Amino acid sequence: MTTAPSAELGRGPRLSLVVQREIARVLSPLSFAGIWFALRIVLGYRVDDLASARRRHREIRIRSNAPLLVCANHLTMIDSFLISWAMGSPFWFFLHFSALPWNVPERSNFAAATWQKLLIYALKCVPIERGGSRTEAAAVLARVAHLLRNGESVLIFPEAGRSRSGRVEVESAATGVGRVIRSVEGCRVLCVYLRGDHQESFSRIPARGERFHVAMSELEPKTDQHGLRGSRDLVRQVVRRLAEMEAEHFDGRQ
Amino acid sequence: MSSTDVFERVVKILTPYVKNQAALDTVARETHILDDLKVNSARLVDVVLEFEDAFDIEIADDDVDKVETVGDAIDLIESKTA
Repeated sequence: MTTAPSAELGRGPRLSLVVQREIARVLSPLSFAGIWFALRIVLGYRVDDLASARRRHREIRIRSNAPLLVCANHLTMIDSFLISWAMGSPFWFFLHFSALPWNVPERSNFAAATWQKLLIYALKCVPIERGGSRTEAAAVLARVAHLLRNGESVLIFPEAGRSRSGRVEVESAATGVGRVIRSVEGCRVLCVYLRGDHQESFSRIPARGERFHVAMSELEPKTDQHGLRGSRDLVRQVVRRLAEMEAEHFDGRQ
Repeated sequence: MSSTDVFERVVKILTPYVKNQAALDTVARETHILDDLKVNSARLVDVVLEFEDAFDIEIADDDVDKVETVGDAIDLIESKTA
């Protein structure tokens, strides 16, 4: 059985994703409340101009029915929670559950213990092992492509890990993301740049009471190149856009 | 081109990406590119693109998933140049 992103998923993996999605939906009032409480109350986080960010996401989402892959810069281990929070309110995501992005967390960080496995299962996650078997990575990318083709939103960090320099690194662009874009017809990319005021470099979690700035930009990457070069070209377009957004972020703060 | 020639060229291409230089001394067909040579998985794509240039072949995305060892790379290259 092939597991390439361009291939259709087998019945088993398709069914398991449907079941996971429905379990996540049923549990979502609980998980949304828990995450909101942790981010907002326990950690005291704020997102600058949150309403505008959510409006921007809604505008991009309703502009087209084409698949929407969310690609973001990556500095902390809870970026995916912060980005989802910035993209929509818990109530809106409950009503538009497909818009709540699936995530592809690193297995050793988020799926080591049983409770972690259960938690990320209920949070629409498909874990991946960084630097692990390429066959397994391809199977995960095939799931991602399938989800996108079926109207689900997926969040991926195209740098394939938290930036060690604290800045967007174009050279770290993961070609697998380009493969997904290439294999999903008409795939749009929502580039999201998120950074806290005190986030100088990468870390496990942002400082308590942190204030975040978020920017969103829609991109439809295209390439004339084939094979791996095409995939690399596509993902580099995405990461370059993130780098431009980062430059705008710092220019705006001077 | 003989398998030995392909092996030597593959190792030469891999060398700049290898973090575990000691493993290069005992490199063989069975040597795992990521686990033994400690090539960064993100850089494996650059390695494969260098294979394309060096051997004048085109390697599909899906074929890259089959490359785990030096021998896998040699087999893939030989299948494309045959």
